[in-house]
Amino acid sequence: MQLQDKISLIKFDPSDTMQHVAIYNQHSCTNCEEKHCLTICPTDVFKWDCHTDSPIVVEYKQCVECGACRLACQFDNILFFYPPGGKGVSFREG
Amino acid sequence: MVKHWCKFKKPHKISITKHIHAKTSARKYDVIVAGAGPAGLTAAYFLARDGLDVLVIERGPYPGAKNCGGASLMAEHTHKLFPNFWEECECERVITDQSYWLMTEDSILSSRFQSTRLTAAPYNRFSVKRNKLYRWLANKATQAGAQVLYSHTVTEVMFNDSAQAIGVTTQTSDNNIFLADIIILADGANSLLAERSGLAAKVTSDNMSLYVKETIALPSAVIEERFNLLPGEGTIIGLIGYPTAGFNGTASIHTFKDSININAGMAVASFAQAGFNPNDLLERIKKHPYINRLLTGGKTIEYGGALIPEGGYHAIPPLVHSGLMIVGDAGSLVNGTHGINLAMWSGFYAAKAGYAAKISRDYSAKKLSLYAELLEESFIIQDLKANAGAAKLMRDLPYAFDLYSRMANETAYQVSKVYTMPKTAKRKMIYSKIKSMQPLLKMASDLWKTLKVIR
Repeated sequence: MQLQDKISLIKFDPSDTMQHVAIYNQHSCTNCEEKHCLTICPTDVFKWDCHTDSPIVVEYKQCVECGACRLACQFDNILFFYPPGGKGVSFREG
Repeated sequence: MVKHWCKFKKPHKISITKHIHAKTSARKYDVIVAGAGPAGLTAAYFLARDGLDVLVIERGPYPGAKNCGGASLMAEHTHKLFPNFWEECECERVITDQSYWLMTEDSILSSRFQSTRLTAAPYNRFSVKRNKLYRWLANKATQAGAQVLYSHTVTEVMFNDSAQAIGVTTQTSDNNIFLADIIILADGANSLLAERSGLAAKVTSDNMSLYVKETIALPSAVIEERFNLLPGEGTIIGLIGYPTAGFNGTASIHTFKDSININAGMAVASFAQAGFNPNDLLERIKKHPYINRLLTGGKTIEYGGALIPEGGYHAIPPLVHSGLMIVGDAGSLVNGTHGINLAMWSGFYAAKAGYAAKISRDYSAKKLSLYAELLEESFIIQDLKANAGAAKLMRDLPYAFDLYSRMANETAYQVSKVYTMPKTAKRKMIYSKIKSMQPLLKMASDLWKTLKVIR
């Protein structure tokens, strides 16, 4: 089972007005060799096309709000908040 | 003497203060709890039962929407707070079988304990689905008189000039200020509220573990057959070694009525170092020959991830502040596989301290420190203290789970294998095999370090 299929099983109600995960400064990411955010996210929120000039894309709408990215980022470069009330992920199976 | 007189002069009826504050613009509560999890809801229940005016603010649209993984409920811990809870809370299975599997890619060496003594009240453990457990706790709290407000994210704690917490703000546009005499932070692992209010330092990637889970639906008869269980009985299997691909971490299987949860995880720092996606771990475990056969025919119905504080005693931030207490995962009160029970009891102790503060109209850190004292005397801090070195040990011996699972399995394999060589030669061979995997002195020193930590 591919990760994308698993993500499609999760119930999301993303906020249209607030992006709750974001990269603070894309320039720091150019200097970052490890880019832990690309691998640590359980739902692949951070995507990069491997070109040095391209920015890292943040697909916040599929975020499960664990907050691991914020801790893994060496440059403390990820802004992480919880989405507005009622928005974001809703687990049903515990 | 004067102090007593002052106390006497103050009105003891709690309802009186409510009317005074009702006239101000924002309604003032006795207690605001941020987060409707086991810790927050237990605190709310006991405070409301003691007659306080409690508001619980939860960011999810319903209880348990924002947490996943596991889980099991310890019967004795819960029974002491909520007598005969099993008659009210919808538990999935009575845990009568607890196993640990030391795994390598092709073998498992397991220890398994099953007992019919665990099948009757007062039981030992239950497997529970988080949404059902949280919903039951939320109902208890509301029935006791607490208010639970869903779909509201608490963004900030408000302080007065003397740094006493006086309320919280939420993100919604209307009526977004809530005032209270006491604020209880129960916003879970990764407590942004405590951190951004300057009450706790940012948690580190060493002290936080990332767990992913997958819920796989299987008919209950199939679960019972595959795990050798009677109807209604369940098992929890701890998986060590192979599941975390060379790092120190754990995986587990929880059986529910008609589904099972596979969880796997390790420290955020280890994931960063390893450079693989947490989902890869899950997929890898699912392909293991002895796990695969348990899952055949199952349908994955949900996937998720969550953080668990695993820094232990040394990672606990100051839990008591002026007008504010931190409970549960937000206060890093997790000890190994125990979290929900510590959360509930910390909520209970916070409720007791909150009630005492309310009675004396004193919300200072000194008065609320009763909470810290109660924690200190209880199993929570006692056990956390006893295991205080565990987190450091895991960092010092990053190979421990993997290597020693391998060595145990190798030994088991050689012992089981029947050779034509004489027994004494076989013993010598096994001994030299073990020695080749880890020098004896190093093994002895690891053992000594481990014994020093496990108390």
